[in-house]
Amino acid sequence: MTLMTSTQDTTIRKNGGVSSLLKLTPLAPFSLIFLFFFCWPIFQILKNSLDQGKGHYGLSAYRLMFTKPYMHAFTTSLQLSFYSSLTAGVIGAVIAFYVHRSKSGFKSIIAMLSGVLANSGGVPLAFMFIAAFGAQGGVVTVLKKLGIDIYGAGFTLYSLTGLILVYSFFQIPLMVLVFTPALEGMRNEWREANNSLGGTNIQFLRWVLIPVLFPAFLASILLLFASAFSAFATARALTGGSVGLVPLVIGSLIDGNVITDQANLGDALAVGMIFVSAVVMVFYGFSLRWARGR
Amino acid sequence: MGAGTMKSRIFSGTRYLILGLGLVFFIAPVASAIEFSLRSYGNKGHTMANYSWIFQQEDFFTNITISLKLAVLSAVITVVTVVPAVTFLHLEGQRYKRIFEFLAILPLVVPVVSLAIGAQKAMPLFIQNSQYELAFFYVVIAIPYTFQSLNVGLSSIPLKTLVEASRSLGASFAKTVTSVIVPAIRSAINAAVFLAVTLSFGEFTLTSLLHWETFPVWITRVSQGNVLGSIALSMFSLIGAWTLLILVQSAQNVQKNRRSKSQVEEMEEATA
Repeated sequence: MTLMTSTQDTTIRKNGGVSSLLKLTPLAPFSLIFLFFFCWPIFQILKNSLDQGKGHYGLSAYRLMFTKPYMHAFTTSLQLSFYSSLTAGVIGAVIAFYVHRSKSGFKSIIAMLSGVLANSGGVPLAFMFIAAFGAQGGVVTVLKKLGIDIYGAGFTLYSLTGLILVYSFFQIPLMVLVFTPALEGMRNEWREANNSLGGTNIQFLRWVLIPVLFPAFLASILLLFASAFSAFATARALTGGSVGLVPLVIGSLIDGNVITDQANLGDALAVGMIFVSAVVMVFYGFSLRWARGR
Repeated sequence: MGAGTMKSRIFSGTRYLILGLGLVFFIAPVASAIEFSLRSYGNKGHTMANYSWIFQQEDFFTNITISLKLAVLSAVITVVTVVPAVTFLHLEGQRYKRIFEFLAILPLVVPVVSLAIGAQKAMPLFIQNSQYELAFFYVVIAIPYTFQSLNVGLSSIPLKTLVEASRSLGASFAKTVTSVIVPAIRSAINAAVFLAVTLSFGEFTLTSLLHWETFPVWITRVSQGNVLGSIALSMFSLIGAWTLLILVQSAQNVQKNRRSKSQVEEMEEATA
């Protein structure tokens, strides 16, 4: 077998040039689609965001982006992503932990349900929560009968808190899905060692579980962060535009609902979103490597 | 000893509490939205009217058909683009594997809203004027998932050995592709197709920003005049999607179990 591969290698090297390029044909369809429907549009956004018209290029769109209303949109988006990923991340990790300790049948059911629920998003999810947590919603009514008036306490679904609640519905399952593999790596012996050395559960949590699982936890949270940051449909359907998130601002610019003198503001905002998302993904890559290094 | 069992009892108590709370969090919105969708205007008791309203909308079947067409098309494009690429990277293109793995992550880094604004300006008119452009974008958006799932799927198969065996037994390249490679990676292909189909059937952001109408976009438009109807429509599409996903996933599980069982049997036969 090894002999054969080595002869194959030499033939490739000998032919070189055209025929080795021909060998790459299986990569061609993928590369073409990727270039034309991904790289080309991205290049256009970059170019447009710098285009000042009449053949001049400059940063005026970015200057506008750094003014108050648009910076506010970025802070709101970042806040939403931060709080929703942290909330869903902690809850999801705890659920994943308890599910991990259950029987394998239950485990595979939860894995399947998580896969299904993590995929639900978009407009229908927003409407479902309006029916449940809107002012007239079923959950709100039931809670009121129990003496808990959440709207009286200042809650409203059409706010940042409301969005965090709705996002949890797909982010908690997503967390369970991405965090469970990290738990699979834990050894029962660790707990036994802790117990036989006289460690308490709290000590086990503080000195063993949290330090070991932290990198994977961080990586999962960053993934949730990125997904919340770029989510569009649910937020648009739920808030209309009352919560000014960056994707929603871009959406209104595309639809022409917002008029500015700066025609390419949308492109600059789009580049801004790509930048934030890229930073998050770089940190995701680092924490993933950190998690695997253990 | 007594303290230990007590501790574990408390532990399992918290476990049930937490899993129970989780269950309530996921069931409560679904249940109360279903109840809501059965309400009638003016509080005249519960009715199925909101659901029959869905099917009375003339665009309902038109839009379902469009979404289905796009889903099938993006599945086909995924199979002819992503599958050959990943297979090649596992066979002879090991050198390029890292680069392509990196490229395949990139659509995840670019928010769909950003891609939409670029797509609106970058595409030549004859593409912008065809709704089928959507399928190509769906394929690109799905690449991080389809590529990864194929990549993982192929890593678990000794593909290179199989191909070398087939070639050394004198099979032609075409024969090797049709009767060795494709059957070996079939379940990985199925998984990728499944991902492409679910993504394209539910995609809203890019579709609506490019001003096309598909099923998810239609839901939003038709909902504007009828609150109860929109809830019914949402529950119809959510529960429909969940049921489909569960069915496909359990089918895949059954297939996986059967395969590992038959492998065990083969090995037993071989050793007997």
